[in-house]
Amino acid sequence: MPKFESNPFRPELATIQDIIQETSNILTFRVVLNDEEKMREFSFQPGQVAQLSVFGVGESTFVINSPPTRKEYLQFSVMRTGEVTQRLHQLNIGDQIGVRAPLGNGFPVDQLKAHDILFIAGGIGMAPLRTLLLYMLDNRQDYGDILVIYGARSPEDLCYTYEFDEWRSGGVRLVLTVDREFPGWKKRVGFVPTVLTEEAPSSYNCIAVTCGPPIMIKFVLIGLKRLDFEDHQIITTLEKRMKCGIGICGRCNIGTKYVCVDGPVFSYEELRQMVPEI
Amino acid sequence: MSEKIFIAQGELTAMLERLSKEMDVWVPVEMGDEKWGIRFLPYHEDTIVVLDRQSTISPKNVVFPQVETLLRFRYQKDDNDPSKQRIDLKDRQDVSSALVFGARPCDVRGFHTFDQVFLNGRYKDPYYEQRREKTLFATLLCDTKDSACFCSSVGSGPGDREGSDLWIVPVDDGYVIQALNDKGRKLIPIMGKQATTEQIEKAQRIQEQVTAKRIGEYDLTRSARDFTDRFEDMDYWRDMVSKCISCGICTFVCPTCYCFNITDESRDLEGERIRSWDSCMFYHYTLEASGHNPRPEKFERYRNRVGHKFSYFPDTYSGMISCCGCGRCIRSCPVSIDIRRVVHHLKEAVDAEV
Amino acid sequence: MEDKTKTLQREFLKVFEKLEVVLGWEPGYDSLHATPSFIRQAKDLNKLVWNPLCSQNLCTYLVKTLNASVRKDDKKIGICVKGCDSRSLVALIQEKFITRETFYIVGIPCEGTVDWRRLMRIEPSLKDVQKVDIQGNELEVETAQKTYRFPLQQVLEQRCLHCRYPNPIIYDCLIGEPITPHIGDDQAYGDIEKIEQYSLPDRLKFWEKELDRCIRCYACRNACPLCVCRDSCIAETRTPKWLSQRCDLKEKFFYHMIHAIHLAGRCTECGECERVCPMEIPVTLIKKKLNQIVKDLLDYEAGIDPQKQPPLLTFDPGEKGI
Repeated sequence: MPKFESNPFRPELATIQDIIQETSNILTFRVVLNDEEKMREFSFQPGQVAQLSVFGVGESTFVINSPPTRKEYLQFSVMRTGEVTQRLHQLNIGDQIGVRAPLGNGFPVDQLKAHDILFIAGGIGMAPLRTLLLYMLDNRQDYGDILVIYGARSPEDLCYTYEFDEWRSGGVRLVLTVDREFPGWKKRVGFVPTVLTEEAPSSYNCIAVTCGPPIMIKFVLIGLKRLDFEDHQIITTLEKRMKCGIGICGRCNIGTKYVCVDGPVFSYEELRQMVPEI
Repeated sequence: MSEKIFIAQGELTAMLERLSKEMDVWVPVEMGDEKWGIRFLPYHEDTIVVLDRQSTISPKNVVFPQVETLLRFRYQKDDNDPSKQRIDLKDRQDVSSALVFGARPCDVRGFHTFDQVFLNGRYKDPYYEQRREKTLFATLLCDTKDSACFCSSVGSGPGDREGSDLWIVPVDDGYVIQALNDKGRKLIPIMGKQATTEQIEKAQRIQEQVTAKRIGEYDLTRSARDFTDRFEDMDYWRDMVSKCISCGICTFVCPTCYCFNITDESRDLEGERIRSWDSCMFYHYTLEASGHNPRPEKFERYRNRVGHKFSYFPDTYSGMISCCGCGRCIRSCPVSIDIRRVVHHLKEAVDAEV
Repeated sequence: MEDKTKTLQREFLKVFEKLEVVLGWEPGYDSLHATPSFIRQAKDLNKLVWNPLCSQNLCTYLVKTLNASVRKDDKKIGICVKGCDSRSLVALIQEKFITRETFYIVGIPCEGTVDWRRLMRIEPSLKDVQKVDIQGNELEVETAQKTYRFPLQQVLEQRCLHCRYPNPIIYDCLIGEPITPHIGDDQAYGDIEKIEQYSLPDRLKFWEKELDRCIRCYACRNACPLCVCRDSCIAETRTPKWLSQRCDLKEKFFYHMIHAIHLAGRCTECGECERVCPMEIPVTLIKKKLNQIVKDLLDYEAGIDPQKQPPLLTFDPGEKGI
């Protein structure tokens, strides 16, 4: 039987090219679409997401955390939490998965131009911010100072440690923190919102981009308000249970907005206009 | 040939028999012996069609089956490298033409909601589109309202012909059936003989009488703002829906509820990705892998259902309410929650009324 | 004699200051339906009603909605129970989900509740009902035009036709006089005996036909006062995944068997699972069959004695029944 001419539910088949162990429960997958032409033509915005399929188990949503400026592969960091991620963690290089992408809206990279950028990330929340960060490094002249505050429970829970030097050499000031003292850890200790308050970056011409667990976001928002960040100067990217990814199946709504098509990236200004049901 | 035919009650079965040779004909039948409820099933020779009351469950499953296969997949050994697997994917299935005979205006109106979401959104749903195009509706003018009906409260009415392909008006001991568009016109020659002028005039009179009726006392079409104003009034929602038991009846019987789940169901090396009806009343509907749930309490889930139909949907689709006023959620609710009351009082809480 | 509705309101008013909430019934969306009522203010007590339309078993809210085991202060929960409902209350006490002291129980001897679908089948044009009452063996329905009389056998819920416990097992206050059950203990399982007369293939055919209508809305489960797994029912969990989301007969059959097995020796036969089913599937029969087996093997019925240990919740090396 012929295929539908266009079927947003049909994934592209893809091959796992590389797997990087980030932490004890986070793996990063580098994936290429099997159809070479589609891989070449694949275009997306930093912050857009993909539905990854393990056929027989199901789909789950992940941000594409390699930037569109680096197209050898599409990268996804996967924390082992549910049914699909469990199975993804059992896969090997060369295994086949399905990819439906790009979905969602992405970061407003043009609006961010000529601003200083403050990244605030907790745990796996660094994944979407990494996409934007690398995109900015690849377009360095378009953006001002970049400060990254990145925290995790322990030093072992920090992702992308192998490329911190690349970030720094691109002019990024990287402030790392962990929740408590660990032997050999010489950097900051304390929760991300506390470190934000200690660092006290200026809100002048600055956009804050944050992602992390809901409780962290809550206190980061309080911290940013104290630093006089306006609602439109704060951007976050949300996670919701998604199924269709194309604004139909219904579950990821916050009032009238569907996170899968209207998001996942929202400014705090937009979030405040939505019903409080995040 | 006239576009209006007459079918005597006694000839109905023969007509359905003729139609069922052309396509799947879905008709309302009783749930079983000595049961009151009605559901739509494909016509076959022993079917007894029941047109005197609304079906318990809407015929939405004809266009939006409770379970539908989206993909078939199979893992196979890679011929070039036996240590590797490749995956075969199939996404298309043929569907047959269908006629829904004897649905009510409210049932058909439900598909307005579906069309907005499945066809007119940012993505088009090819599975829905395929079935929608191949399904016709022969709709019955509705003169059997009960205490749960409220179609006029949401901008429709018992004589609302919008969305139907054929229109059935009960006249004396039979039915005058009229084509409303080209799709419907094609079936007219198979259906029966031309109606007499007298029958046509009588049908016209009945149509006018029924259309003039107002079913439902409230106007529920302007509640969007009231809903958002009431959103955080926990006492209101607690009072209205403490009794909800969080089952899926209201959403499953509803002609406009379309939310679905997608799951992979497989055995060994092959399987299917299916979509199945889901319900925003279920705790698991929004439960995230992390354990976080944006709507953990049943009142939050019920509130979302009300919001979706009477506020979010009209805000998104130029004022259109995604409720057709069929009353099924009221009639079938195990604890008799009345959505009319919940929406009506958004503006003024119950105490203000007394 | 005072109207039972008035007595009910008056009894709750007497003790209202000691109560956090009262669970009762109030008039529903039309004159043939009642709806559960959560009364939190004394002035609202006059909403409460008692009549043969008060179908819902309010005990279903105790674990799932009110989390009745956790009380903030000394205030009690007021609750109205029919005979069958009171068995659910007792069973929840037996299973230690709730404690007796938490409740102020108003028991109402019950002659049966009306199955509106059966009523509509007999008299589809019935509307503008003003009063529904049971007089002797008949249901009296008063409308503006006339008074209808229906034999109870034709209009009561199925559960009521085989009810042996019309009188509440436990209560703090009883409204009205205890009544004599319509049927004796020997007829307790009359409804399942009818099915058991079928040959095995016919019985399978019967259940396939009935269960095939299931739409997996889970109302039978959610209305059940003894389904206490709350949001962790294995019908929906994917880890482990016991059931697929398909809606084939196999899945539906499996779901209903799981539901029934989990209620073996626990079901208090309130029949809510069947009453709420939008597809009119006689699912209570499955549970009653299991209850009959438990009765035969272990001489036990759930929800009769608050002190008694449910046999399937314990282990006795000297077990005689099995």
